[in-house]
Amino acid sequence: MSDVLKIAGLSYRMNRKEILADVDLEVAYGKIVALVGANGAGKTTLMRVIAGVAKNYQGTVTVAGESSEAGRKAHLSMTDNLSAFADGRRIREVKSFYEDVFADFDSQQFDQLLEFMNLNAEDKLSSLSKGMREKLIIALAFARKTDLYLLDEPFNGVDAMSRKKIIKSLLLWKPDEATIIISDHVLDEIAPVLDEVVLLKDKHIIKHKSADEIREGHASIEEWYESFYEGEE
Amino acid sequence: MSMEFKDNIPIYLQIQDYLFRQIATGKMRPGDKLPSVRALAVELTVNVNTVQRALRELSDKGYIYTKRGEGNFVTDNEDLIADSQERLVNRELAEFVVRMKELGIGEDQLVAVLERYLQEQIS
Repeated sequence: MSDVLKIAGLSYRMNRKEILADVDLEVAYGKIVALVGANGAGKTTLMRVIAGVAKNYQGTVTVAGESSEAGRKAHLSMTDNLSAFADGRRIREVKSFYEDVFADFDSQQFDQLLEFMNLNAEDKLSSLSKGMREKLIIALAFARKTDLYLLDEPFNGVDAMSRKKIIKSLLLWKPDEATIIISDHVLDEIAPVLDEVVLLKDKHIIKHKSADEIREGHASIEEWYESFYEGEE
Repeated sequence: MSMEFKDNIPIYLQIQDYLFRQIATGKMRPGDKLPSVRALAVELTVNVNTVQRALRELSDKGYIYTKRGEGNFVTDNEDLIADSQERLVNRELAEFVVRMKELGIGEDQLVAVLERYLQEQIS
């Protein structure tokens, strides 16, 4: 029981274009980690590879000791953008789909999460604002009890109040031993809750540092992150 | 309980300092129970590990103690609390002296300046 995620020598191509190259990463249990990088750096692809959705990669990916795709999927919960559900679907219908598909989906916990997020099970997906939709996505992800949570850009286009609510929900519902990886291209509001930051740039992971280590160097995490992009604007 | 964090200082140090002040100023009394680690984390919107680290350091220094299965409590050691008050006073004074120096008021003038100020405040 040391690392919940282990990636070694990972490379990934899509349509002959190299997206990820020689990625190595080890993340321990019980952490909240930000995966940052500019848009198009490969953050979503990396998450999809970890989750076993993107296939045909080279290298090894291990989640909670499991390296097969099916084995990994049983130990992780990744946010789903709900694009497979028609707009007319109600939240309770999405819930029953999740109940059928995921053995570890905790319906009671999902109801608590909905209440915390001020969402109503009878609401249709089409009636949800961007912030409400993202809160639903987070509630679905955290209703599963697992080892690794992959949250892909949960704050994108979300209003400040909803962002706060989402951050609080992570703190409330994260199992002690579980690790959360959050991808984002800005780092303002989540900075105080982070244990570690992983920086993806030019297909590689160029930095993996603890948040305290960064602050001990008297830089804010945001300043530290921006320093890798100086002169590129 | 709420606080704004500076993002260029490790947050566990800021939480530690915040709780230290609560104890030194008597806002938290000897024997008071602290909120649970998770409750503190949610309230301050910080990581559970960060709260734990802050509490560990406070406990190492004796300002709080843990009762197994019951939680964390403020020390009953009155001497230690008195000592923490003194340390807080000294820290504020040190800062005051530095700032006054920046304003051109040397150590030899400090007492006179302060006395004059206090008298004006009273009258």
